[in-house]
Amino acid sequence: MTDLLKIEWLKIKKYPAFWWMLGIVTLTYPGINLMFFNVYDNITKGKEMANNLAKMLLGNPFAFPETFHTVAYFSSFFVLLPAILVIMLITNEYQYRTHRQNIIDGWSRYQFIGSKLIDVAIISFIVTLVFIAVAVGFGIYADQLSWNRWAEQLQYIPLFFLQTFAQLSIAFLLGYLVKKAFIALGIFLFYYLIIENILVGLLKLKQIPIGRFLPFEMSDGILVAPAFVGKFGDKAKEGYELALTLVYQQVLGTIILTALIWFICFKVHQRKNLA
Amino acid sequence: MHAVLKIDGISKAYGSIQALKNVSLEIPKGSVFGILGPNGSGKTTLMSIVLDILKADSGSYSWFNEPNHPAERKKIGTLLETPNFYHYLSAVDNLNITHAISGRGSAAAIDEVLEIVKLTERKKSKFSAYSLGMKQRLAIGAALLGNPEILLLDEPTNGLDPVGIAEIRELIIRLAQKGITIIIASHLLDEIEKICSHVAILKKGHLLTTGTVDEVLSNEDIIELSAANLSGLKKCIQDLGGFSSIKALENRIQVFYPFGTANMEALNQHCFNNGITLNLLLHKKKSLETKFFELTND
Repeated sequence: MTDLLKIEWLKIKKYPAFWWMLGIVTLTYPGINLMFFNVYDNITKGKEMANNLAKMLLGNPFAFPETFHTVAYFSSFFVLLPAILVIMLITNEYQYRTHRQNIIDGWSRYQFIGSKLIDVAIISFIVTLVFIAVAVGFGIYADQLSWNRWAEQLQYIPLFFLQTFAQLSIAFLLGYLVKKAFIALGIFLFYYLIIENILVGLLKLKQIPIGRFLPFEMSDGILVAPAFVGKFGDKAKEGYELALTLVYQQVLGTIILTALIWFICFKVHQRKNLA
Repeated sequence: MHAVLKIDGISKAYGSIQALKNVSLEIPKGSVFGILGPNGSGKTTLMSIVLDILKADSGSYSWFNEPNHPAERKKIGTLLETPNFYHYLSAVDNLNITHAISGRGSAAAIDEVLEIVKLTERKKSKFSAYSLGMKQRLAIGAALLGNPEILLLDEPTNGLDPVGIAEIRELIIRLAQKGITIIIASHLLDEIEKICSHVAILKKGHLLTTGTVDEVLSNEDIIELSAANLSGLKKCIQDLGGFSSIKALENRIQVFYPFGTANMEALNQHCFNNGITLNLLLHKKKSLETKFFELTND
């Protein structure tokens, strides 16, 4: 395990796309949250009655302990960035034919896929660290009076990690099966941004309640929208509370789907010709 | 002599194309074993199967008489088809990965092999910046890393200039003298003949022959003769008999005898007794190239 980790680090540490991705994530995660924070700040900072009402209604979603929930939710929109890196890391192995060389040099086929699982875990972990830093930063900045509540919603850290790992695993599966970086990226983006949203919309329209079991929806359901979303009327409250009750099912479903993805990769790799 | 690799009845098909048909052979420890065959004969497929890159449809193989295990491959330095390295990494970084996976070599050994393959000056350059010949030399360096027990080289001189080819040939001879088993596939029959102790010849997935180079080449004696009276010489040889065939060339004849039956003294005496004075009498060894074409031509 540590050997695989060490070897993958040798491959990654001088890969420019890795540092580019890390740089972009480090900018976009605070960026998107700062954008929403500014919106919130603009709405609530005035002395008017409306400003005070908004403040009462919304609370402070960027203060402790809500910051972990809010930042996790907004940051999760950008899973595309690490997904690009994950796809590049596996398709590079095909392009350079190092997926064969690693086996020739003495890895088992299980070790090869295991090393890629480690890649996805490392990237998810790094992205989670960035998320934690951003959430803590906002928590400290947004409201000093709630610093003492910093530990109340730490469950969003493992939930964010799980969602990221699950969605990056889907990206890995695509890269693994398609082998060509641009085709895999195209399929990933097209499905993630368009196809699944259309399917969710259609299923809602036809009142078939299985939309939340679609691959990305499954893990999207882990991080429900921030609590203030449930404060805009009874219907919103009902929807928010329902989403919260379904989190456990979504977590379970995500774990099963992710395990299935890796099981498929391990099994396929064990049997296939490495052309 | 122990076999380091035993291949037993391996077959492999790509759809309707049968790439290997029931191939069995043994590679003795310490041999320099040439695997020959025209394009598409199954050489690389066979090598890929014994390295677990391809899965055989049937048959089996074992390295070092042990059950198949990835650890066995760590003892083998391999160059299969193309140099496969991370393009964005330098020679040293790539060899660090080879070392980390295979456990062969060390930081000092990496410098050593880079010196052997003459890449020391460019050891920090990215692989993507290398010429074809430099990439090939790096792949040979990776195969040599940590003095493996076996070297498996598929067309090792691809992309090398004549000096590079000669250097690799000398290197292989030096390594063979140290007792390293070398398995080599090449189209350069002249090179193979110079360095190999054993050969196997494949054609369309069939193993045509295998054994020591002398065994494979020496299945008949070839005697080349010439005299001023060529027609008289030919008749004289025919009268003596014992040969399998006679071939008339421009200014000499070649007589083929079953292996070990040609008697040059008796031939000379017989010709002289019949009034033919020989101006050429030569026991010729068949070249590997001749044998190869004989076996592989339809």
